[in-house]
Amino acid sequence: MSVKQAPAPVQEDALVGRARREGNQLFKEWFSDLQAAPEKGEEVAYVFVMGSMAEILRSFGFQMSFPEINSLQVAVRKVAMDYLNPAEDYGYSTDVCAYVKADVGLHLQERRHPNGRLPKPSVVVATNMCNTYVKWAEIWERLYGVPVFVLDIPGQRGIGWEKRYDKEALDSDRRYVQAQLLELIALCERVSGTKFDIDRLREVLGEVNRMAADWSAVLKLNQNVPAPFNAMADGLTYMGILSGYRGTRTGSEYMARLHEEMEHKVRNGLGTLEEERFRLHGVGPACYSHFRRFLELFQEWGAVFVNSEYLAYAGGGLDLGIQFDLDRPLESLAEQIVQTGQRSMSNMFFSQDQLADVVGAWHADGIVYHSVKSCRTVSTGMADSREYLTKTKEIPSLFVESDLVDPRLWSEAQFKNRIDAFFEALGARKAAAAAAGRVQK
Amino acid sequence: VIVSGVDVGSTQTKAVILNDRREIIGRGLCDTGAIITKAAEEAFNLAAQDAGVPAADVDFIVGTGYGRYRVTFGHTQVTEISCHARGAQYLFPGSRTVLDIGGQDTKAIKVGPEGQVLDFCMNDKCAAGTGRFLGAGAMALDIPLGELGPLALQAKNPVKITTTCTVFAESEIINWLARGKKVEDVLMGVHQAIATRSLSLLRRVGVEPEVTFTGGVTRNLAMVQILEELLEMKLNVSPEAHYMGAIGASLFAHDKAVSGAAGAAEALGVESELEAARNAPELCNVNCPVPVNRGKQLPVVEVKA
Repeated sequence: MSVKQAPAPVQEDALVGRARREGNQLFKEWFSDLQAAPEKGEEVAYVFVMGSMAEILRSFGFQMSFPEINSLQVAVRKVAMDYLNPAEDYGYSTDVCAYVKADVGLHLQERRHPNGRLPKPSVVVATNMCNTYVKWAEIWERLYGVPVFVLDIPGQRGIGWEKRYDKEALDSDRRYVQAQLLELIALCERVSGTKFDIDRLREVLGEVNRMAADWSAVLKLNQNVPAPFNAMADGLTYMGILSGYRGTRTGSEYMARLHEEMEHKVRNGLGTLEEERFRLHGVGPACYSHFRRFLELFQEWGAVFVNSEYLAYAGGGLDLGIQFDLDRPLESLAEQIVQTGQRSMSNMFFSQDQLADVVGAWHADGIVYHSVKSCRTVSTGMADSREYLTKTKEIPSLFVESDLVDPRLWSEAQFKNRIDAFFEALGARKAAAAAAGRVQK
Repeated sequence: VIVSGVDVGSTQTKAVILNDRREIIGRGLCDTGAIITKAAEEAFNLAAQDAGVPAADVDFIVGTGYGRYRVTFGHTQVTEISCHARGAQYLFPGSRTVLDIGGQDTKAIKVGPEGQVLDFCMNDKCAAGTGRFLGAGAMALDIPLGELGPLALQAKNPVKITTTCTVFAESEIINWLARGKKVEDVLMGVHQAIATRSLSLLRRVGVEPEVTFTGGVTRNLAMVQILEELLEMKLNVSPEAHYMGAIGASLFAHDKAVSGAAGAAEALGVESELEAARNAPELCNVNCPVPVNRGKQLPVVEVKA
């Protein structure tokens, strides 16, 4: 009987797995810094992972709290219902974004998080990059009476992925955003009592440049077979550092060390599993309430996520390897905000060709679309994109649905059935291609 | 060689026995119930009896369906998606699209010339548009399942069942009856609602002829007729359609027994998981509810105007 065993994970040593261990440690430190802010007299900004405005806020020394990360963590720690229930009892519908509800539940319980006690905000910064952000920020405004700054990023002009780079439109959008950044700076001066220092902003931008350069190189290293990291599993830790430590020396050093580890793995032909049988590109986030099981259902088949669209958006757009022009810091910052903002907002309409390119460059065997029941923003367009890629490019794909946070929306029997059937078909397809003598990627 | 496929569905368990020439020589059917392993054994033993073959003489057994990991006497498992595709292509070699309406799942499958799965779509998170939806209708109207189809075909002015929820469909049915609609018209509405939902799944994978209809609902003549009208084509419907998953599983078993390679089945099977299932006590496999704190007093939050 020749039943294939699930491949074992690759052994860790001092270097292999270092980024995961250091990342977990940095996360603990990030929360304790946040928790200690009121005692130290530091101001706290509540921001979002997309468009965090970390560059400006860091230059004023704000500590930053990301509600998406807080909510994700209550899901991973299996206490999501302790936060969702109070929010639903308070009146939020079951259909509302579970990230929002977990956060509301947190604030209704005096900000007691499994990691500690979250401080109150001094200021709130949101953008229109997710259409829920503005309403979410208004909740904190009502709860704490703090100033809320909403940055309005113009949407894409025209259709098609490449339109983002239209020079004239970009310049006009850049000026519009830059004017708003000046308003944000004035607000930060008022809240923090500190005067804006453009050289300090330059330093922060320089750290982001270093972080972005290493991060985009790390992403590309995953084009190797086997891929040195799993974009859904390990990627989650890296993504957290990209947000939490953006613009800091600690963050850029972490990314350089991650780069070093990944190069070492590639040089030594080390993947994440002893045998990498399938390579996948993920669209949509993972299911964090059943994170381990979610990952296992793929790993049991020897499948590795070699890239994930979520790393781009929830990673604050640093995948593009953006480099700020330090000679014109504000203009350059505004330009980058416009580009990453428009890319996130247009994703639901124009992602398909981009996806096909990534599948090719990362040698993926197929795409996994994970639709999020309580988030229509990331889920919109997935079915159309999938249909287009299946019918026009013959890229195999799987469509599954659960939720980021809400454990009630997870149904393992249905989930597993679809995943197993997908790999059966993918396995047969690979076997047929191999039999036909075609060289497999 | 003698092989078997055992399909443990959410509602019924089906088993078939194939001989050397891949001919069906035995069938077994029983309700799945709560003890899945027993149901799998019962269906398998019935099929072996029907075939006149001692159970011990069966060389290779493949389990499929939601309870496939509970076919503890089986050698490997294949999802019913692959099995329905394989079975449909075996009985109707021209099949390019397969529609399976089962107890809780409706699947549209695009198949290749060798019966390989090219793409599939299933109903998500909800049993609307499945056999269970018909069952709910039958219960609300107090009509045996077998009479649903013939009665629906007598409809003159079918009503439109708009709810997407199987449970709410019952109240909608009662509501139509209370408004004086005839039973057959309401029943036809229920059938049409399911057919329409199945059709949208089919369109998502692309309707390419020939279309083969599988699963227990194939026995409902009204459903076959409505689907044919909507698709504007004849459907392949086999008298064996109810056993299609088990037939596909037995074909994978035959591959394995004859050549040692089980095709798609070869890539399958997580032995550790099967081992765990073999050793686990016979308990329901429904996820346990998450502990909640609803009893606690909500904190008073100062909400600023």
